[in-house]
Amino acid sequence: MVLAPGLFAATAGEQDPRAFVTQLAAKVMETMTIKGVGDSERAARFRAQFTADVDLPDIGRFVLGRYWRGATPEQQQEFLKAFEDIMVLTWSSRFKDYGGDLRHAVTNVTADGERVVVVESKVDRERQQPIQLQWRLKQTDGGFKVVDLVVEGSSMAITYRSEYASVIQSNGGKVDGLLAAMHSKINELQAAPPQTN
Amino acid sequence: MTAIRASRPAVSRPTVARIAGSLVALALLAGCATPPPADDKEAVAEWEQVNDPLEPMNRAVFDFNQAADKYAIKPAAEGYRAVVPKFGRDRIHDVLSNLNSPLIFANDVLQGEVDRAMQTLFRAFMNSSVGILGFIDVATPAGIPGHEEDFGQTLAVWGVGEGPYLMLPIFGPSNPRDAVGMAAEWFADPFDMYVGHMGYEWISWTRAGMSGLDKRESLIDSLDEIQRTSLDFYASLRSLYRQHRSSEIKNGRGGAKVPPTGLIGQAGPADQISQKAQ
Repeated sequence: MVLAPGLFAATAGEQDPRAFVTQLAAKVMETMTIKGVGDSERAARFRAQFTADVDLPDIGRFVLGRYWRGATPEQQQEFLKAFEDIMVLTWSSRFKDYGGDLRHAVTNVTADGERVVVVESKVDRERQQPIQLQWRLKQTDGGFKVVDLVVEGSSMAITYRSEYASVIQSNGGKVDGLLAAMHSKINELQAAPPQTN
Repeated sequence: MTAIRASRPAVSRPTVARIAGSLVALALLAGCATPPPADDKEAVAEWEQVNDPLEPMNRAVFDFNQAADKYAIKPAAEGYRAVVPKFGRDRIHDVLSNLNSPLIFANDVLQGEVDRAMQTLFRAFMNSSVGILGFIDVATPAGIPGHEEDFGQTLAVWGVGEGPYLMLPIFGPSNPRDAVGMAAEWFADPFDMYVGHMGYEWISWTRAGMSGLDKRESLIDSLDEIQRTSLDFYASLRSLYRQHRSSEIKNGRGGAKVPPTGLIGQAGPADQISQKAQ
């Protein structure tokens, strides 16, 4: 079902999903490329934007899947905190790679059920086929929140879920094994930020 | 680890049979993963979604691929990037893409994709003539972008299931259906058949080697990034490959033209999330 963006504007206050995604990409890009800002300040700004626009607790619960219910409240909180750290460390460097030249354009907006809006967009690249993206947005009282990003047909939420289940499996079905692996990955990512080309 | 496209030059059938035979032997040696007990419904569902009963063998092959990649394939791709300037690499990429058009066209036709077949045909005509034997992709700027297609996807459109996830030596993530598709294209490539017939098999081998380099070079940054940020690189790639393949088979259209496979067949995460949130 294809709907005009205007239709959503009425139900989501002032927000238009097309504008939400366009601004989200532009804001993040500006944060990652703005001059005269220290690395720690840049990282803090990215985290603030990322956590405001992405529904990390919901994604985290989906990613842990059936292990969420078996986990203690302490494990759940520890997982969500570690998941936020990994997401922020991972995605800040991915935006950085574009070096400010993000040719990102929304191509289509569709509804998936009553509460989910799918915004399709593409990132044009030099002499290569554009990267196709799908942003899955959820309506909340505070406006839209990203609940998944599908890159070239691969859902990031499903990929994390599959990967983390595999880590839990290889640790004898224990969530603590996953938490330990997450903490060591966070340390690794903080110790060795990616080389800027 | 690399995923080199299909279309290899002629290799004698006994060689392929020997490789297949040794793979089976390796599978028997490495053993299969143990399925969860049947009464644990969620574990069984997860097992079926992951679709990797040969995981121990696959992980062993993956370790081999990682070593081959670290010491040979990736250094070669990095050398290629360092030595040949971007302009040259683009020209080589365009030539290789143009050489793939006969097989892409054939697969477009076999899948009944008339519009895409016409695109492939026009591209090949334009790029082979105005584009000087394919050296310059003039069709893309002219508004006819290229696309990939292979016999594994055609088999999927015909209703052949993917079978269990399979990590191929050197070629990387695959499954029995895609591996058969790759082997079929190996023997069916018109250009390779022609130069082979003329006795210039070295051209086919050069093309195969360059295709591998071109592919691996284009993946250097993405694969580095996935490896750097993932907890389990093998499991990450497995999920990404299977989802991406499923999307390719549907040519990026959401419609269920083929039976949904594994994880993709489940309700999207956002659906489940919003259900929980309600």
